[in-house]
Amino acid sequence: MNIREQALEITGASRGAGGDPASAMLGILSMPAAGMEVQRTAIVIVVGGAQYRVGSHRQFVQLARRLAGAGHPVLRFDLPGMGDSPGASVPFEQTAPHIGAAIDATVRASGAHRIVLWGLCDGASASLLYLQARRDARVAGLVLLNPWVRSEAGLARTRVKHYYRQRLLEPAFWRKLWAGGVGLKALRDLGRNLRSMRRKRPQSLSFQELMALAWQGFEGKTLLILSTRDVTAQEFAECLASDAPWRQAAQRPTVTRHDLQGADHTCSQPASQQEVEALTLRWLATLTR
Amino acid sequence: MSLPPQAGLPQAFFLEAADGGQRFCLYHAPRGDRPLGRVLYLHPFAEELNCTRRVVAAQARALAKAGYAVLQIDLLGCGDSSGDFADATWDAWLADALAAHRWLAARAGGPIWLWGLRAGALLATQLASRLLPSPAEGVREGAGEGGGEPVHLLLWQPVASGQQLLQQFLRLHSASQWLGASPGDAPAPAQALAQGQTVHIAGYALSPTLAQGLGLARLTPPAPPAVTSRLVWLELSSAQPPTLGASADRAVAAWRAAGWQVQAQAVAGPAFWQTVDGGDAPALIDATLAALTPAAAPMP
Repeated sequence: MNIREQALEITGASRGAGGDPASAMLGILSMPAAGMEVQRTAIVIVVGGAQYRVGSHRQFVQLARRLAGAGHPVLRFDLPGMGDSPGASVPFEQTAPHIGAAIDATVRASGAHRIVLWGLCDGASASLLYLQARRDARVAGLVLLNPWVRSEAGLARTRVKHYYRQRLLEPAFWRKLWAGGVGLKALRDLGRNLRSMRRKRPQSLSFQELMALAWQGFEGKTLLILSTRDVTAQEFAECLASDAPWRQAAQRPTVTRHDLQGADHTCSQPASQQEVEALTLRWLATLTR
Repeated sequence: MSLPPQAGLPQAFFLEAADGGQRFCLYHAPRGDRPLGRVLYLHPFAEELNCTRRVVAAQARALAKAGYAVLQIDLLGCGDSSGDFADATWDAWLADALAAHRWLAARAGGPIWLWGLRAGALLATQLASRLLPSPAEGVREGAGEGGGEPVHLLLWQPVASGQQLLQQFLRLHSASQWLGASPGDAPAPAQALAQGQTVHIAGYALSPTLAQGLGLARLTPPAPPAVTSRLVWLELSSAQPPTLGASADRAVAAWRAAGWQVQAQAVAGPAFWQTVDGGDAPALIDATLAALTPAAAPMP
């Protein structure tokens, strides 16, 4: 292996005034092999979707080793209550102290000056919410893969647009409807989706709005990767297309968007996984230039 | 003033493997001076490892708190260990399990328990065969790689056979084809494996060598142990009251017939190995502690 790996005990993520001694987290730091030049930009992978630090089908292990092989320190870690870390689990909207502690640990152990937060699903959402909470100047870049912005209204909009529209264009649907094969439930679902789409927004800022604010205020670079075979990514794309704050944030020259053809939510096809790794590496090179 | 002890992390380290790679391990030191026993944990197959990590961590912490020394190892190509899943073979996994056993045996004392979950139960059973003295050799010879010590088994939701697990895994390929994620004209995975090709299923590259080794693995009780060995067999059930499956009843009878002291039980809880947020299994953790810990000595 052209890399070396070590376990890190990540402490210091206090919650509340007294701190929470139970919130020690386990992390794995991947570093370039001894003797190799170490890049000043480290990547902290923010795991999402109830996964632990290796990721679905070890996608984060592979990513970390690939990036470390190219010279970058990479940390993967388990949030409290996930994987091997003890404690009560923390909702993704409240992980800022933990991401902060992970960044501190990465800087200490690797000597890196700059941090890229790399998040999938609600790990991408948590990364933006971290910036909103902390405005951490060490964070120079963001890689967001299939960010999670689900809301009842957004999901309904996506379903109607992508699912029902597609179904309505299929001859089989009409044959089935004619023959009585489309259940009453399906029609009720469509009705409910149309109603939720039109529902008004609540007054306080939702986590999606906080994410959009954070992204607008972020001066570093962003690599946004969206899988074409993923509902979560479709919902996010829908957000970009229909909500002004999101659209404006995404249209800035600091944002690079890449649609990953044929990929699913976790990029389980080897070709998709390799493409994500290659995209990340190419983008990292522009970041450090 | 000393700080309250961290509700601690286990000791995380990499064990050097014979192939030059390293295996990620977690050691949960036992509370107290004299461990009640040593527990070696062997994880399940592919994504089931991820889905079960949380529940297993909770169990390992509970065992350590109760006085057991617990070692978890990630096998070759799994978890944080070196290598890709495509590099893994059943024999390499057995060698990893043996190396982990050696590490644990040197580290702590007390009876040895091999704790296997799902496919890990198959590996634990094969490891037990390697460690136990065969009846012909007898305890007198101190034969078997376990040095003649008894070896106990703790099997969580054991799979009936490696073949059955393999078929279930290959079926995920058909599922992804229906969803349009895989090219429809590729040969069926079983056929590709038979032709010596590696197949990609649910993000895992499965080699024909691993498929073959897994396919041959059975839950066959090691020949009647010359020393008394215990088997604790625990399953989860959604039935009220929880009940063991029919195949478990048959398997357990075979272990009894082979001379093992068997305790088999179903407890209430979700099939947490099937989904990534599969929920907790507190009843399983309690049942495990109760089954392993010797009953309190009777009052004089």
